[in-house]
Amino acid sequence: MDLEKFKKTWINQPENSEKLSKVDIYRLTQSKSSSIVKWILIIGILELIFWTSINFITPKSFMEIYKDFNMIGFLNAYTILHYLIIIAFLILFYKNYSSISIIDSTKVLMKKILKVRKTVKYYVYYNLAGLVITNIIITSVFLSKPDTLMKALNPNGVSVEITTVLSVFLIATIVLVLIIFLILWLFYKFTYGKLLKKLNINYLELDKLEKLN
Amino acid sequence: MQKELENKFLADFEQNQNIVHKICRIYTTNQDAHNDLFQEVAVQLWKNYSKFRGDSKFSTWMYRVALNTAISLYRKATRSIKTQDIDDFSYRIKSSEYDDTEELQLKALYKAIHQLNDIDKALIFLYLEDKPYKEIAITLGISAVNARVKMSRAKDKLKRILNP
Repeated sequence: MDLEKFKKTWINQPENSEKLSKVDIYRLTQSKSSSIVKWILIIGILELIFWTSINFITPKSFMEIYKDFNMIGFLNAYTILHYLIIIAFLILFYKNYSSISIIDSTKVLMKKILKVRKTVKYYVYYNLAGLVITNIIITSVFLSKPDTLMKALNPNGVSVEITTVLSVFLIATIVLVLIIFLILWLFYKFTYGKLLKKLNINYLELDKLEKLN
Repeated sequence: MQKELENKFLADFEQNQNIVHKICRIYTTNQDAHNDLFQEVAVQLWKNYSKFRGDSKFSTWMYRVALNTAISLYRKATRSIKTQDIDDFSYRIKSSEYDDTEELQLKALYKAIHQLNDIDKALIFLYLEDKPYKEIAITLGISAVNARVKMSRAKDKLKRILNP
């Protein structure tokens, strides 16, 4: 069977019954875009705001315990480094976003969108790794000075076994970090993962096509 | 200057709007999704119109922007096919000058295209629109040779769906 017959049918098909006027078209162009790239950027920015505000809403009294362990210097250095990295990510986000142009060829356009995705992915990896590594460092320092930790955890001096307190502390820390880790991972899956699933399939299809030769 | 550009754009779009309607019809299966995609394409076309230098025809540029939007920028495009929606859509393109056989054929064609993946849809659409391989290749960002190879596969797929 020949598709040429269908081609003729296609070309002869009547125009859409609802022909839009210039005014209708103008009205449409004034509406907001709901494109994937826009949502990736919005979620990325919201996430940045979220992390920054978490840092800001942490109460000052929370920092008291770090004084006892001489960790203020370490924490300040880490915070400065962290913000420098975040700023670098922001610059990358913006650069990626501004380089995206709908008038590129489909493959180039999708490549750029996937680059945005990669940047966002590294950003999430950085946050996840940062969460785990800083907690390992802090917990190790805490456990290396059991007496100071005991005093901080049990300021009223209730008589309990020091090993019990330390075990509970360690387990609670691990559980907490795991929970936060899981929430973050799920968040990543349901936002970027969902947004980019279809796109990934399309990109792979185009890529496969290019590798035919 | 801006006003002049806007008027030119609106006139061009008005004249070529059927291209966008056809693309929306192959990438969506109900009226809501169709309107959504049409709107997104309109937004993207206008947003990028200043970058359109006129070194290609407006319609050629429109093909690219509309297909790019459908393939890679549009989020809600994954909707399952509902027979009811297709019937609804076929009603909309009914015309007295179009005879029944052709209408049935067109309906079958759209139904078959809906079963293809996004890239194959674009290939078949550009084939049906009688675009040369060179233009198809440039639009998708692949070589003309690959466009040819992939096109013959997409056509085979379409034939198999049309004639099981």
